[in-house]
Amino acid sequence: MSEKIYAFLLRLYPAAFREAYSYDALQLIRDRAHYERGFMAKLRLWLDLLTDVANSIHRGFDAPQVELAGDIPSFHLLDTGSPRRGAVLLGTLLSVATLSVIPLSVGPSSTRHFSRAAFQIAGQPDMSPRNPQVAPAASDTHGGAVDRTERQRVVHTAAEYLRRYYIDPAVSQKVADALFAHQKRGDYESVKDGAAFADLLTKHIREASGDPHLDLVYSQRPLPSGPPPRSITNSAAYTKAMQQENCTFETVSTLRHNIGYLKLNAFADVSACQSTATAAMATLNNADALVIDLRDNRGGFGSMVSFLASYLFDHPEYLFSPRENPTRESWTRSPVPGSKFPGKPVYVLTSGKTASAAEAFTYNLKMLKRATLVGETTRGAAHAAIFHPIDEHFGMGILETKAVNPYADKDWEGTGIEPDIKVPVSDALETAVKHAEARLGKK
Amino acid sequence: MPKQKLSPLPAAAFQILLSLADEDLHGYGIMRNVAEQTAGRMRLGPGTLYSSLQALVEAALIEEVDTPEPEPGQERRRYYHLTAAGRKLARSEAERLADLLRVARTKKILRGDYV
Repeated sequence: MSEKIYAFLLRLYPAAFREAYSYDALQLIRDRAHYERGFMAKLRLWLDLLTDVANSIHRGFDAPQVELAGDIPSFHLLDTGSPRRGAVLLGTLLSVATLSVIPLSVGPSSTRHFSRAAFQIAGQPDMSPRNPQVAPAASDTHGGAVDRTERQRVVHTAAEYLRRYYIDPAVSQKVADALFAHQKRGDYESVKDGAAFADLLTKHIREASGDPHLDLVYSQRPLPSGPPPRSITNSAAYTKAMQQENCTFETVSTLRHNIGYLKLNAFADVSACQSTATAAMATLNNADALVIDLRDNRGGFGSMVSFLASYLFDHPEYLFSPRENPTRESWTRSPVPGSKFPGKPVYVLTSGKTASAAEAFTYNLKMLKRATLVGETTRGAAHAAIFHPIDEHFGMGILETKAVNPYADKDWEGTGIEPDIKVPVSDALETAVKHAEARLGKK
Repeated sequence: MPKQKLSPLPAAAFQILLSLADEDLHGYGIMRNVAEQTAGRMRLGPGTLYSSLQALVEAALIEEVDTPEPEPGQERRRYYHLTAAGRKLARSEAERLADLLRVARTKKILRGDYV
């Protein structure tokens, strides 16, 4: 019975489909009718068939398939062919007719009401900093310009974030007062460019707080909302990418007079690169001195900083990190079984590009008097702050913990780390090797 | 039908490729598999099923395979087989969806471990 009705309905399908598949289509119905017994199954079969017919006959086979993704239907076109001209014309006419009817049926009083609502939205933005994550951003396609509304929102939210997250409430208040004073004086009125506005706010925030870790950044591309993922290193893609680059262990070699040379361009996460790091250190293990080249190293993960530093000591040493209060992980896991590095001369090559985790490595070895630094002053980017998005284009870095620095009041943020032997970047390797040779008595 | 209609890969076509990953199947078998792997959310009607199969065959993502003579009393059926290109496309589509999922988790729309 169902089959006969469906055979009739098949005539509605495009001829090409009928020719190729009517046999298979009927067979499919027979199969379903045979295997799916019971009233509900029959009902479902018919529901499916009618949906399919409606989908298929519409515009030949340009038929969109409808599927529900959650509660929202999404459409997939099976064909790229465009609809007939007549259909487009009819569609246009119908749309125009429908749209002209709406204002008439709604009436003049409601129209006024609508426009007033629209005005309110435009004129009084929700500046409640309570829920800044959902604050409306100017737009996705940010041309780099900011309007007054967005500037006010950024200032309000920055003040609120400081109050909520910054370690010192008195300083938060001082910074907020300063920002609002600047805003009141109209200091921000003329700043139309997003990046310039962020720079100016950063300047004012640092002036008022005296804390170089605080910053406000602008991104022309929309920022992800919510905090960044805790760790990207769970991802197989990260591990794969790192392994393809040998975990940025660019050079592992032995120079003249048995001086080991390690050029490391990033501190990759140990979870992805432990075996590579272990192999590199094993290769260098018999060297009489070690040169670690961080001139192109812009940072990475604290786990690798600690992992590599562990080889250089014969007992656990505390590694200061401006990012966090001491944890068990703050001590090196020295001694590393089999490591012959403890007691041997170590040189670290630095440049103005050496930053973040690479600076943490350099700073601690310098303070522990475990390495001689050769090259130029490092970048001065502790990157200790936690990032908080303000809207789609502005975000703020706030230091949420104040780790006690055992060596000085301040870390290297903004100032960088001074080398022990100051030479141009290009001469650093040769200088370090000569020093090592002299120290080893092999000159 | 031209190839580009499979780009982006329609959900039905992707489900069909997945259903053929383990074994060659005929039309009804594919429909059953797709219904199973989507927990009943996607039931392909004959129109959608066969036009998708046609597009996939033309794009050489699947191929019709010879089947032995049907046993007496059984009807002849067309069986379909996933080609190497089809398997590759299904994998890249799955990777694309995995990336999407990762973004959704980053944005706190979904929670849980990374895939």
